[in-house]
Amino acid sequence: MVVVEQLNRWYTIDKKRHQILKDISFHVKRGDFVLLRGVSGSGKTTLLSILAGLEKPSSGKVLIDGEPIAKLPDIHLSHFRAKKVGIIFQHFNLIDSLSLQDNVLVPLVALKIGLQEAKAMAERALKSANIAHKSEAYPTKLSGGEKQRGAIARAIVADPPLLLCDEPTANLDRANSLLFIDALHKLHQEGKTIIVATHDPIFDAIDFPHTIIDLKDGQIV
Amino acid sequence: MNPLFLNNQVIVYLFSEAALLALTILLFAKIVKFLWFWDFRSYSNRQLKLEKEAYLAMTIATLLFTLKSVLLIFFVHTIDKLSLIIPGAMCAAGVISANSYGMDLLFIKLTVIFTLLLFLIANSYDLQAKTYPLFRFKSWVLIIASGLIFIEFFLDISYFTHIDTSTPVSCCSALFGNLEGANPLPFGLDITKLLLLFYMLYLGTIIALTLETKTITLLTLLLFGVIAYYGVVYFFGTYIYELPTHKCPFCMLQREYYYVGYLLWGSLFFGLFFGVIWVIMSQVGYNITKAKWASMLLLTLFVALCSLYVAIYYSKNGVLL
Amino acid sequence: MLNNSFFYFFTLSLFKNRKRYFAIVTISTLVIFLLSSVLFLSDSIKYSINSQLELEPDLIVQKRLGGRVVPLDESIVDTIAEIYGVSQVTKRVYGRYYFDKEYSALIFGVDFLDEQSSKALAKLLNREDLKRFLSSESMLVGEGVFNYFKSHFYPKAYNFLTPSGKIKSVKILKVLDRRSNLFSNNLIILPQELAKEILGLKSNEISDIALNVPNPDEAANIQRKLEGLFLNAFISGKREMQKEYENLFNYKGGLFLALYLIVVMTLSLILYQRYSLANSLEKREVAILRSLGWSIKDLLGLKALENIMLVLFSFTLGLFLGYLYVFILKAPLLSELFLGKNLQTQIEFLPHIDYLSLATIFILYATTFLSAVLIPVWRVATTEPKEALS
Ligand SMILES: Nc1ncnc2c1ncn2[C@@H]1O[C@H](COP(=O)(O)OP(=O)(O)OP(=O)(O)O)[C@@H](O)[C@H]1O
Ligand SMILES: [Mg+2]
Repeated sequence: MVVVEQLNRWYTIDKKRHQILKDISFHVKRGDFVLLRGVSGSGKTTLLSILAGLEKPSSGKVLIDGEPIAKLPDIHLSHFRAKKVGIIFQHFNLIDSLSLQDNVLVPLVALKIGLQEAKAMAERALKSANIAHKSEAYPTKLSGGEKQRGAIARAIVADPPLLLCDEPTANLDRANSLLFIDALHKLHQEGKTIIVATHDPIFDAIDFPHTIIDLKDGQIV
Repeated sequence: MNPLFLNNQVIVYLFSEAALLALTILLFAKIVKFLWFWDFRSYSNRQLKLEKEAYLAMTIATLLFTLKSVLLIFFVHTIDKLSLIIPGAMCAAGVISANSYGMDLLFIKLTVIFTLLLFLIANSYDLQAKTYPLFRFKSWVLIIASGLIFIEFFLDISYFTHIDTSTPVSCCSALFGNLEGANPLPFGLDITKLLLLFYMLYLGTIIALTLETKTITLLTLLLFGVIAYYGVVYFFGTYIYELPTHKCPFCMLQREYYYVGYLLWGSLFFGLFFGVIWVIMSQVGYNITKAKWASMLLLTLFVALCSLYVAIYYSKNGVLL
Repeated sequence: MLNNSFFYFFTLSLFKNRKRYFAIVTISTLVIFLLSSVLFLSDSIKYSINSQLELEPDLIVQKRLGGRVVPLDESIVDTIAEIYGVSQVTKRVYGRYYFDKEYSALIFGVDFLDEQSSKALAKLLNREDLKRFLSSESMLVGEGVFNYFKSHFYPKAYNFLTPSGKIKSVKILKVLDRRSNLFSNNLIILPQELAKEILGLKSNEISDIALNVPNPDEAANIQRKLEGLFLNAFISGKREMQKEYENLFNYKGGLFLALYLIVVMTLSLILYQRYSLANSLEKREVAILRSLGWSIKDLLGLKALENIMLVLFSFTLGLFLGYLYVFILKAPLLSELFLGKNLQTQIEFLPHIDYLSLATIFILYATTFLSAVLIPVWRVATTEPKEALS
């Protein structure tokens, strides 16, 4: 599902090269559950955004579902993102001026799905994320946990095979974090490939099979 | 000061052309950069920036295409209106031939629209692929388009500064009518031969497009363009005006003739454009059947419209002009 | 369209962000309003002048000595009438009458034997009035003249002083319709003989001769013949007059338009500024959309549609306000600027819209707007999606 080979990412500031990721190589099989761990600043977000096609690597190879995404023109990369990846952000990233239902609709608009069908799909996603009762509400009126569930609904609405989560529990209390892990577990059982970047120790306690990748200073240890 | 520069339409027209010129200069600078530095395989920041700027170029080109098309119509209308203050002119024909720049300007305008259309089509195919296969090609098309726009602006200014509002110009019947008895048709044709050639070239174009023979298609398209121009001015036009002596490519754009000129010239030019675009694009490896069909359809519409006017006149009056 | 999710999203975001566009729509509407009022006004004036000119004769024959127009002898009329291709040859008597240093009116004498003028007169008067007009010494006056008479205590009749020193009392029969005020405001219509007396013309003299040439191809030829007819003949044509007016209005309209070019430039600067400072909220939104699979092309489409809507909306609104201002409110302030502060000229603006003028405003505005926002819009649309992450 995910193949990363000799991936490097650096920034050049004042002609000095800052290496963020260094020679990263790993494989993730379809249906795997991966924990990407590391202290703050170790490069987790950077790695995830490269996997999501939000950021370009400086060198190396990234294959997702057989597709090399490192050098893909924007139209194809966007289409890939809409179809293949669901992202759950640390700050949820819901659009405040839109109701939850319309927020969930956004990836489907990019896929040019008809309005009727899109609305039905959004309804289904909201239901399976347990937030259908708030579909008319606006993000500013929602609690952290509710926002999180809205973000899950949006991530799975187009039924992507790959889910990427960046610090998903950083803004949640313990109870909501556990609920979130349950939801992830369920999605994992449905066959989704999931990669979670986190330094939250709550993930140490999960009781289903998973792989761990530890990052330190931009390198896998 | 030349009183033309106080005319509202002329001011707005020149101002718009100047604004578009500014955008074209920007476009040109970007394209030169593309041709110099573009390397799709590179991971460098510069390449990433160029890929974004390609979208700027695309946006500018789209805007240019839209506004240049609108401005062409506006230009023709303005010229038509100016016939009121230029002695001797009865319609746009007189004003456009008030100096030698006018006809060149019109021709350049058409080629600008053509090259921009070619770019837009090439661009849409380029974006559908995963490696920008047409990038260099479409960049060169834009270089040519910008060059043409620069020339167009030069002609714009030259044209309007060289109209003398005190010397009379000729009206369309004097310009296109054969008052001196000389044959105005090219290649020594007479009307019968012209018509024969008109329909034969039309058929030839359709056949060549169907058989997808590039060189012959291009040849027939260009010849048909020339012959169709003379055909409309010297034969079919007279049926639109229902007057054997009224020979003018512009008057049919007026309200009295239900603006049919726009449909007529529009179908001819875009028919030719799509045909030539099909030839050029298949030369770079893209057989765009849509363009081929659009060309055949538009040219057929054009020929049908021309013939229809003759047929209607004949059925109403029982004679030909 | 209704099942298009892109269109749904577009209308939704346009509606939800309406506050964001408020300033831009206000400024644009104001510019369109200014532009359209001026053009509506000048078109309307041009239109009434042109429709007046339509009624004017094709050619006018005058006698000029040293550039001064002097009276003609009547007998020349018959010679002119015999020229082939000439029709409706009319003797005209008119001149200016000075009431005092500040106020003067145009006196126009009508000949009742002349078919043309009696037809025109029949439009102004019913049969009753026509009989009275013919039988007594009376006149038709424009509103400006009537107001002058009233303010000088002559509400029923006026005593004219002829050049020979005699006093001539003439009754006011009727005040002319306001509609054609541009020309008739300071006009007095009299029977021709009476007019000659007041203007000091001899009974065989006339001011000039008007005639029509039905076939325009012969105009030049006839003009040449007329010029050879007698010494000091001066021929002027309607077409020249039209051209003169056209130039005059181009001049006035052009002056205003040059002014508006400056306004439009300012508009483009403001737009550019505003769009460049696109608030972080908008950037964030775009970054989120991109991170969820929207391509740059989709976003450019969304933004293009958004701006086209803004252009169309403010254009229609500005046009509507301009129409209201000029034709319903009668363009206070602006009409004074345009026509000079001559309070005696009250004009009824006939609602007449020239579509080329509308197209002109639209092209000026749309080109400015779209070129100004193009680069900022592109910048926003290509916001890096990873900006959504932080
Ligand atoms: N645009 C940038 N320019 C320069 N350096 C950057 C840029 N973006 C990120 N970095 C650097 O890259 C390193 C890794 O950042 P990243 O966000 O991937 O860390 P992280 O592991 O996600 O940390 P956290 O747990 O705090 O989210 C940091 O040192 C950061 O300063
Ligand atoms: Mg992070």
